[in-house]
Amino acid sequence: MSGRIPIEATDAVRHRIPRDERRGMRTDVVVYASKQILDQISKDLSLEQAMNVATLPGIVGPSLAMPDIHQGYGFPIGGVAATDYRTGVVSPGGVGFDINCGVRLVRTSLTEGEVRPKIRELMNQAFRDVPCGTGGAGHIKIGEKQLNDVLAKGTRWMVENGFGEDSDAEYSEEGGRLEGADPECVSARAKERGLPQLGTLGSGNHFLEVQFVEKVHDEAAARAMGIEQGQVVVLIHCGSRGLGHQVCTDYLAEMGAAMKRYNITLPDRQLACVPIQSPEGQSYLGAMRAAANFAWANRQAILHFLRGSIWQVFGKGTRIGLIYDVCHNIAKRERHVVDGEKREVLVHRKGATRAFPPGHREIPASYRNIGQPVLIPGSMGTASWVLVGAEGAMAETFGSVCHGAGRLMSRTAARKGRNAKEVLQALEKQGIVARSETRDGIIEEIPEAYKDVDEVIEVVHAAGLARKVARLRPMGVIKG
Amino acid sequence: MFEILEHTADIGFRAWGPNREELFANAALALESVAIEIENVEACEVYPVAASGEDDESLLVNWLSEVLYYLDGRRVVMRRFEIERLEPFQVRGRAWGESRDPERHPAKLVIKGVTYHQLRITQDQTGWSAEVYLDI
Repeated sequence: MSGRIPIEATDAVRHRIPRDERRGMRTDVVVYASKQILDQISKDLSLEQAMNVATLPGIVGPSLAMPDIHQGYGFPIGGVAATDYRTGVVSPGGVGFDINCGVRLVRTSLTEGEVRPKIRELMNQAFRDVPCGTGGAGHIKIGEKQLNDVLAKGTRWMVENGFGEDSDAEYSEEGGRLEGADPECVSARAKERGLPQLGTLGSGNHFLEVQFVEKVHDEAAARAMGIEQGQVVVLIHCGSRGLGHQVCTDYLAEMGAAMKRYNITLPDRQLACVPIQSPEGQSYLGAMRAAANFAWANRQAILHFLRGSIWQVFGKGTRIGLIYDVCHNIAKRERHVVDGEKREVLVHRKGATRAFPPGHREIPASYRNIGQPVLIPGSMGTASWVLVGAEGAMAETFGSVCHGAGRLMSRTAARKGRNAKEVLQALEKQGIVARSETRDGIIEEIPEAYKDVDEVIEVVHAAGLARKVARLRPMGVIKG
Repeated sequence: MFEILEHTADIGFRAWGPNREELFANAALALESVAIEIENVEACEVYPVAASGEDDESLLVNWLSEVLYYLDGRRVVMRRFEIERLEPFQVRGRAWGESRDPERHPAKLVIKGVTYHQLRITQDQTGWSAEVYLDI
């Protein structure tokens, strides 16, 4: 790209790349990072990509980069951009192929001491019950008509059809269902691709992890979420599978031609976008919301299968409840105050999590005093975090924060000189039992391939975007 | 024919051929090879594969997306591609393969989509080549 990037430190965790009109930037880029993280970020194309995002028509406020940012395609992963809902654009690349990829955290009434002796049995059971879907189809057999209902109702469809409990739909961003989903805007191909994959984990960085609460940092918030030190929880990370991937593919193909009609030119074709209020924009949003609902239904089905596994191993008396579910690849219509003025915007969160502060009406009543739970998966075998949204996010980042540790190493580099058996043995030595359906999956997700999740969390905590609640450590992992 | 390229989060490939037709065929084979072990794929069925685009880049992305749709949507694995007709904005070909049997065709990586990220199609004296990144 074009030489050195002019980045200035605002304070210890904030950095700014000023707007450069020659590059077509309409606004600044703000990067949340420590010095060490900034050095790592500067090694790939993340910052160039964040600058390209700043060229989107109708962008409101700065193009934002979270500390877990890494190079994506079009948008960086760990990027946030808000566009004016009336006059701005929507970019499928700002959501990504895996629409509503997200995380849900499940509490159990079990303790680390109870689960450790049976962890191998539990992981074997869960590996049988929760299909990864890289081989055959999933366990949920429905037809196209029912699929349309899934696309319209999300988590609620699963609960109504026996795949869950009422409270599962309550403790989720948007209640596990986005308004405005239009199954008609989802192509027959996307439905064909997604139908057999409903209720499957998928591959890549997706996982199901049995964890224990290693340390509580905020007693009051942890109590509200029903967790304490030593308690066993399960983190589920997956998305909309082939259905969402095909929706993105379909609309990217359509938007290339549409952009010419709307006279939009961009530095990177993967950023392809159209006006939100155009027929193409509305159609994409209808399809994206439907795919988001598919993802919530998918995570709900996995929770249901997991309940069966836990009951099988630990008995039906074990209580298993959803703490919260967040999406981290999504575009949401929200109201925010920008420069003292109320604005309706479309917040693109590409590898970023909503983090609304205490008191926000979108938060379930039992969490309203503590702030929205934010779930940050770390790399396989390290640690994950529970945070709560804070005022800083509302003031600076359109109510958004990071989504993970962020990759550091390419998949091919991770594979070099390693084999799956050694990786499994190394994990076992740390007391972590791992199961994987794909040969390369487990090697490519080694902890060394990621940034230090704790450092990422320190940055967002220090910046006042979110507050630390608890650190979780893994005992068992299922990878696709 | 093709080689694998690195990307922080995802994976790419560089494919080449003496002409544009073979470039398209080899790029399709590269995509299959990233996703599954193709050694055991029997070329016993023939499938029509076609795509259109508005320029070279979108034609290649849409062609590969078609192959990916067969793989992830129709559960068909392919190991030989032949281009029958390649016009500026249209491609039509045939592919040989079979329905996927997870036992014989284990998954290596699940590909979510074909991206425009750093997509480059070039021609020189030796032929055509393309660099393509896939979302994993």
